[in-house]
Amino acid sequence: MWSKVYSGFGYWDVISWLIFFLIASFFALWLRSLGRRDYKEGTEQDEIYWSGNPVPEDGSEITVPASSAYWGFRKALESYYSILTNIHSGHMRDYVGYFVITAAVIAALILIV
Amino acid sequence: MSWQEHLPAMILAIPLLGAFATPLFSLGGKTLRNVWMVSISFITMIVAFLIWRTVTVNGVLVYVMGAETATLALPSGMAYPVRIILEIDAFSAFMALAGSIASFAGAMYSIHFMDRFSGLSRFTSLYFLQTAGMLGMMVTGDLFNFFVFLEISSVASFGLVAFWRDRPESVEASFKYMLVSQLSAMMVLIAIGSLYGRYNALNMAGIASMLHLGVVEKLVLAFLVVALAMKCGAFPMHMWMPDAYAEAPAGVTCLLVAVSQASLYGLMRVCYTLYGTTMGSSFVPWVIIVLGMASMFFGVSMAVVQHEVKRLMGYHSISQVGYMLLALGVGLLSLGNPQTMADYGFMAMKGGIYHIFNYTMYKGLLFLTAGSLYYATGTRDLDKLGGLARRMPYTTFMFVIAAAAISGLPPFNGFVSKLLIYESTFALHPFLAVAALVTSVLTLASFVKVFQTAFLGPEKKCYASVSEVPASMLMGMALLTIVILGLSLFPSWVLSNLVEPAAKALVDQSGYIGAIMGGGL
Amino acid sequence: MIGNAPFLIVGVLFLMGLIAVLTEKNLVKIAIGISIIESATNMFLIVLGYRTGGTVPVRFLAAGEGVMVLPTPQALTLTAIVIALATTALMLSLIMLLYRHYGTLNIDEIRRLRG
Repeated sequence: MWSKVYSGFGYWDVISWLIFFLIASFFALWLRSLGRRDYKEGTEQDEIYWSGNPVPEDGSEITVPASSAYWGFRKALESYYSILTNIHSGHMRDYVGYFVITAAVIAALILIV
Repeated sequence: MSWQEHLPAMILAIPLLGAFATPLFSLGGKTLRNVWMVSISFITMIVAFLIWRTVTVNGVLVYVMGAETATLALPSGMAYPVRIILEIDAFSAFMALAGSIASFAGAMYSIHFMDRFSGLSRFTSLYFLQTAGMLGMMVTGDLFNFFVFLEISSVASFGLVAFWRDRPESVEASFKYMLVSQLSAMMVLIAIGSLYGRYNALNMAGIASMLHLGVVEKLVLAFLVVALAMKCGAFPMHMWMPDAYAEAPAGVTCLLVAVSQASLYGLMRVCYTLYGTTMGSSFVPWVIIVLGMASMFFGVSMAVVQHEVKRLMGYHSISQVGYMLLALGVGLLSLGNPQTMADYGFMAMKGGIYHIFNYTMYKGLLFLTAGSLYYATGTRDLDKLGGLARRMPYTTFMFVIAAAAISGLPPFNGFVSKLLIYESTFALHPFLAVAALVTSVLTLASFVKVFQTAFLGPEKKCYASVSEVPASMLMGMALLTIVILGLSLFPSWVLSNLVEPAAKALVDQSGYIGAIMGGGL
Repeated sequence: MIGNAPFLIVGVLFLMGLIAVLTEKNLVKIAIGISIIESATNMFLIVLGYRTGGTVPVRFLAAGEGVMVLPTPQALTLTAIVIALATTALMLSLIMLLYRHYGTLNIDEIRRLRG
């Protein structure tokens, strides 16, 4: 039951991975435990650093919204994404149109090839 | 035992009984209806499990509707099989098992998720009709019966996607889905009618034994491949999928995932068993591979930039279906060539089939967690969510498991099936594996985004009163989590007992035909 | 060639329905286009079963022992007609709901789900 999965080019073993993960997490937790415990909670030693500005009370003013999460990625591939977003126009005729065009192309090619 | 031979009919009859008897049971109050919904789904799952056990032990299970004995496929020496015949081989049993587990999890989840809304007896009926249609697609051995069950599950899905009918977006999503779906169903019907006109038979095994390639058969194959690939969500016919998956209630989306896998089952039945080696050129396998690659890549690149949770997951559905189409296309390419089949083709098929089960489980779980977010906070917009891991620890834990599984992180089941797909498609052409790996990285990127914005982050004042979702919803999600963990920790057992018989049954066209044509009494 | 005329008419009907679905802007016209496509498909199934000079496929109604048309496509067509009925009814009720929500039946404007 716990044996290896052989894919024709290598193998995958869950138990070995879990053992490595346990050893690595043991190291990580040990390093984490080397920290200092003598800080005072609730004072400014516990506060996040927000570029030197006073930290707002409500969390919703310091979150990064999801639409700006991959801003650079989207901006760099703007030419690709503008084409792709225009294809997904939400227009019903495009939905049926792509389906009919794909069916026609594949039906024509299957007769030729 | 005599009841064991009636299992194929039971797996169709029990959800249908559930669907049509629900209005009676809902007269007895909300609790009775909920108990009915959960128990019928549970019994369906047990029947699917028993069918899988029977098929593993006894081989292909044949059931003739309305004959004197259940296996009388060719009565009194007739040359063609008569009556509607259900034929369950290992691949059908595998898919029925996956579909029924997803249906049970969605049913357990929906009894509490939907309790703020009215009209729930109709919801339950439609839910069972969709389950019956899905299971019917998977167990039938008859082409027109496949079309009928395809329409049953499609029409039930249209109703369920539009269930929140006071939301304009739901009705719009359902109409868009309906338009493309009806057109594809008519193409499927024309294709099936053409095959009937050529061979005077509707039975899949009967037609497969008589099929020889001509112009009509090639056109039929093209129509069936395109229409069934559309129902799975292959690019460029995928545009209904994010809309419909986003606007449906979460338990329904969990079942819609399984229903699209039933269409993938139909596609594979047509390609491997109906046509098999008589497909002639390698055009259709390459079409499936190209559709798979396009779906993978374009699906995930649209998913990275979405900001609504369920729409993002809908785009991920498209890319995961791309993985399955890629793997099964590589297997189809090696069908006539025993050398490449032994090298990488069979491994690709095993990877694709294992991925079907994994995908149904972790995608269902992802949609259920997104539904939990919606239930707790009232919004699906990632720009507004934040900091919910403090309030919903169980949902967060299950989301992390599902997101790690879909991204292909070890040690989860997604990693194992993706590893098989990467290594076998690399042997065909390196570019295929490279595209699959890039897709996996982008999948991880988008789920890190969802996890960070929805669960991590500072605590927001507007969500100060959010609490964990109720127990029945947690139990529905926990079932899928347990199955995912089971698939992750015992991959070699799953591969040798579940996946390999299914892959062998898919390649074995003569066994499928011989179970009906060779047998009689 | 004259025997193939029904199949040509099926093709023409299907194309007309498809053109209606692809080029019309009004939702009701698109639903009518889908209905035409369904009618073309049903007609295709019935025409498949026709045998030249055939009579009704009921044993005691057929005059003599001539050729009978095939009954199976008729059963398929009945099923397909019922399915088409159910889906047309659902489509029309969805159109009614869409009109109530959006105030228009123009598909250029019913596009809130995009991108």
